[in-house]
Amino acid sequence: MADAPMLIEAPMLIEARGLTKNFGGILAVNALDLAVRQGELVGLIGPNGCGKTTTINMLTGHLAPAAGHILVHDTPADGLSASAFAARKVGRTFQITQLFGRMSVLENMLVPGLARAHATWTEATHTARRHLDFLGLSHLEKLQAKNLSGGQQKLLELGRALMLDPEVLFLDEPFAGVNPFLRDEIIVLIQKLHAEGRSFVVVDHDIEAIQRLVQRLVVMARGAKIADGTVEEVRDNQEVLLAYAGA
Amino acid sequence: MTDYLLIQALNGLVIGVIYAVIAAGLTVIFSILKIVNFAHGEVYMMGGYFAYFAIALVGVPPLLAVLVAMAMAFLMSVAVERTLLTPLYSPTTERKGDYGILITFGISIFLRNLALIIYGPYPLRPPSFWPGVLEIGNLVMTWDRVFAAGAGIAMLAALLWFMNRTIWGEALNAVSQSRESAAIVGINDQRFYMLAFGLGGALAGGAGALVGPIYSLSPSMGLIPDTQAFAIVILGGMGSVSGSIIAGLLIGLCESMFVAVFPDPSRSLTYAQAFSLLVLMVVLLVRPTGLFGRIHTQME
Amino acid sequence: MRAAQIGLGVALCVLVLAFPQLVNAYWLTVAILALFYAIVTASWALLAGYAGQFSFGHMAFVSLGAYTSGLLVMSFGLPIPLGMAAGVAMCAVVGAGIGYTCLRMRGPYLALFTVAFSEVLRIVIVSENEVTGGSGGLEVTPLFHTRSDAPYYYFGLALLAVSLGLMVWLVRSRWGLFFRAIRENEEAAAAAGVKVVRFRVLVFAISSSFAGLAGGFFGHYIGILTPDIGSVDQMGLVVAMAVIGGAESLYAATIGALLCEALVEALRSYEQWRMVLFGALLLVTIRFARNGLLALAFQAVRQRGLRAVVPRKATP
Repeated sequence: MADAPMLIEAPMLIEARGLTKNFGGILAVNALDLAVRQGELVGLIGPNGCGKTTTINMLTGHLAPAAGHILVHDTPADGLSASAFAARKVGRTFQITQLFGRMSVLENMLVPGLARAHATWTEATHTARRHLDFLGLSHLEKLQAKNLSGGQQKLLELGRALMLDPEVLFLDEPFAGVNPFLRDEIIVLIQKLHAEGRSFVVVDHDIEAIQRLVQRLVVMARGAKIADGTVEEVRDNQEVLLAYAGA
Repeated sequence: MTDYLLIQALNGLVIGVIYAVIAAGLTVIFSILKIVNFAHGEVYMMGGYFAYFAIALVGVPPLLAVLVAMAMAFLMSVAVERTLLTPLYSPTTERKGDYGILITFGISIFLRNLALIIYGPYPLRPPSFWPGVLEIGNLVMTWDRVFAAGAGIAMLAALLWFMNRTIWGEALNAVSQSRESAAIVGINDQRFYMLAFGLGGALAGGAGALVGPIYSLSPSMGLIPDTQAFAIVILGGMGSVSGSIIAGLLIGLCESMFVAVFPDPSRSLTYAQAFSLLVLMVVLLVRPTGLFGRIHTQME
Repeated sequence: MRAAQIGLGVALCVLVLAFPQLVNAYWLTVAILALFYAIVTASWALLAGYAGQFSFGHMAFVSLGAYTSGLLVMSFGLPIPLGMAAGVAMCAVVGAGIGYTCLRMRGPYLALFTVAFSEVLRIVIVSENEVTGGSGGLEVTPLFHTRSDAPYYYFGLALLAVSLGLMVWLVRSRWGLFFRAIRENEEAAAAAGVKVVRFRVLVFAISSSFAGLAGGFFGHYIGILTPDIGSVDQMGLVVAMAVIGGAESLYAATIGALLCEALVEALRSYEQWRMVLFGALLLVTIRFARNGLLALAFQAVRQRGLRAVVPRKATP
């Protein structure tokens, strides 16, 4: 969909300016500028090691940038912890699912539910059950998270992020190792949540799924942004083709 | 006055060699099994007692008793590894990190109490390796200390030779770098974990045997080395044997000088014990990767 | 089965309350010490079992609470309840400090740091013997001046009930959820909005406070304090009690402590061998029944359908 010009009017949710990170001698992310506005569904792709996960980690407070600034709703968010980002309705899932293994599915949902200010047990439980229902996990409520299948775990992690009532969600490889049926299901779920008004940044290597899903595609290579536009625009970008070919 | 300081410094280096041997053993265990072994000081203690009883009951000459102690410490460590540590390699064990902490802590308690009942609570002193003192000018040192330093250096040299020049040693190095990669090239025998734990224990046991005639033996003599050895291992880079050696010498020297210059002689000895503990706390706070070494990798 | 449950409960209560009348002075002492260890063990189970913070320096807070109260009472004539409260406050502050200092330490490094801290404190107490009495001991005013130890028993029982009650209430609240989340996966907990820093510091402060409370009780019961109460060997005993009972369940850990202390005393005739046996039991439990022997027993009983007698929930 080439509707990009209309979204310029939408409010800025989260923005990275000159974001940089190095590990020892390796420059993982190099002066990255990235902006996500309300209502967007952005795909973030790039060859392995291009800095996608590092970028997400910085934009969700799990990693401190070496340089650059982050703004959430146009207010500075530099140096905030991961829980502070969560409180500001920035949610995320992880590349390898990180659940609370020995806690039940419901408890996994209640942790973020009750971590929110002024949350009550009844409200949180009600919301949790609603989300579990949406994800098709209701019947697993009492099971320990570690006993779920891989696909169920991915869905639970999404549910946990939803409990924050997030405005923007960073999904790190939601389709990794997922069978085609579940992949389609996840795409539908994301589309439904997007229609509700939530914004997404989806990182994945499954280009086909990304293309079906997103309106805007950002491509990274060697820590820098090399393309940012609609799927069609990016697809024909020479630099992008070279980046993947040479990776 | 300077003679006194020099003697203190030399004694510090001697004890530093001992610390280095203990720490080197711990480094081998840590880098290959990837666990923090809380019982290392107890193997050191046992080594001391093994030597003592080899001499007292079997009549082994003191110099040979050190080797006997090392062999027995090796066997004891292998036995412990086979019975209690195998869950660390099994994919079905959850939370291996917690398991490692608890089981080695438990082993340390068990060994300490076992020693108390078998050897009794009163300090025992094995006979000297070589009676008398060495005098060079104004400097005096017991032959025991000289021998301990020499034997310690020999042990460290042997270890370095083993790690860098033999197939087994190189294999151990490979395993320490990456268990998975080592498995791919065919080094996945559990024998390596046995070997590593046994080797580490042998070194600790040898150190204990060397120290017996100098400081005498008691069941709780391993308590301070339990934590102190870690101060040295972390300072030296957690996985670097040569780093542990340098750090061990450094700590020994500093400890000795600390005692020498501490203004209150009635407290200097007790606070000296706290010295390495404080070093550990500071190092853990400031630079868990130590001065020399690789970044610690999580347990796989 | 309701009636049987209630009947059993009542019988147990009567037994517990009448205990001092039923046993001789020796076993009363054992019971009082068991109550002390129960509070310490439960607070360690909260820290290590629930929140996943394996601190091996817990006994330092028992020692700190005991010596703070003892010194304030002996040197400044403070009434004992105030002294004990000061001990608790001191432990809360130092505990929070340790929790904060250790924020970037995980697993074994936390264990190492805390055991080093504990040993340093013990060394300071031994060295500064003019103030603390050193290894010779510090004489501390006893809480009660009665011939029988019964008042100590009831006081200890009350302390245990209050402590356990508070801890159970805590773990059943949302804080309990957060502690467990931190134990399971700290990064995920942060991503879920849990203020990890705050709760790690809190759990240290809270568990240390209970340890300090127990320490104060211990000091004013025993009457003479030695630095040994903060030793690694004592820590080992508490760890053993928690692990053998079940470190992740407050009830199991508490009962574990009571039973272990009773066991250790019952085997008194075996002298040092009992500690060896105890150590062996600890190793066997860790190796083969990691959740604890009591927890295992609860599970087995539950599987045989005796739901009415045994609580259904494994937590707390």
